[in-house]
Amino acid sequence: MYKKGNKKGEILTENIIFIILNLIFLSAVVLFLLRQGSSASVLEQTYAKEIAMIADSAKPIMIIKIDMEKGKKITEKNKLDFGEVVNVEGNVVSVKLDEGRGYEYAFFNDVDIEVYAERDDKNEYTGMYILTIN
Amino acid sequence: MNKNKNFLMFNLLKKDQRGTDKILSMYWFAILVIIAGGVFAMVYNFYGAPYDIRESESSLLANRIADCVSQNGKINPDFFSEGNFNSEIEKNILEECTLNFNVEKGYQNVPQYFFEIEFYKPEDLSAGVFSISEGNLNWKTDCLIKKENNKEYERTVKCTERRLYALDSGNNQYLIKILSGVGKSEKNVKN
Repeated sequence: MYKKGNKKGEILTENIIFIILNLIFLSAVVLFLLRQGSSASVLEQTYAKEIAMIADSAKPIMIIKIDMEKGKKITEKNKLDFGEVVNVEGNVVSVKLDEGRGYEYAFFNDVDIEVYAERDDKNEYTGMYILTIN
Repeated sequence: MNKNKNFLMFNLLKKDQRGTDKILSMYWFAILVIIAGGVFAMVYNFYGAPYDIRESESSLLANRIADCVSQNGKINPDFFSEGNFNSEIEKNILEECTLNFNVEKGYQNVPQYFFEIEFYKPEDLSAGVFSISEGNLNWKTDCLIKKENNKEYERTVKCTERRLYALDSGNNQYLIKILSGVGKSEKNVKN
């Protein structure tokens, strides 16, 4: 009786370990996928190209708001100022979310763009960027 | 004796079965490792390749030129001088259409954009009456290459063609063909 009980316990333990390892594997894959999609380099490129395309289709006196909440989280993690993430010099947009070189992309519309991070009543960043086209 | 033999056989079978289970588990983990490798390779390949926005850019460029050439169905009067097409407009077409073809540092040696505007009389579409072009016109022939799903095609310029009808100040009708293209393959195609 004692032997039989012990064997059953062994099978259960093996199965539990097997299931736990499978779950660990699946969660690792899911985490990897999620982290890849929101990594700084991918987001830098996405934001720079998005802003360049917005600039290309914009006309003077337009004010455009861009949601950059994901970028704000990354800059907070990297202890960088969110207000200095996006820069427009001439007709080149540059976005920098970490200590790296950032990402630059040019637009062809010959307009002046003023860009700044939006702040709320408490003077904290809202995660939005504002583009003023002149 | 028989009883002992049966007992041995039972134990051997049991041991064999447990061994098979362990081997199966090992195979299962080997499969998981292969799947993980596959997922990693695919994700790395997907996110490693830049987003290709050149088709959208060339479309935006064509729209911007169309807005510059014609507004409300009338050709921009700056394109005419004393009743004829103004040949001087080509010199300052970028300023006229508020375009700036400068690009990022490191990509300035070759112009990364081009466009061509051709005016036709509706009664004779074989020969244009006036044309304006700007940028890297060497890429114009690449616009004619048919789409093929290969690396070479991916690296060629992405083009957009627009056609519209508009009237001049004397209500003469013109067909206007606009062809625009964007290179920038280094920033939009994986090397």
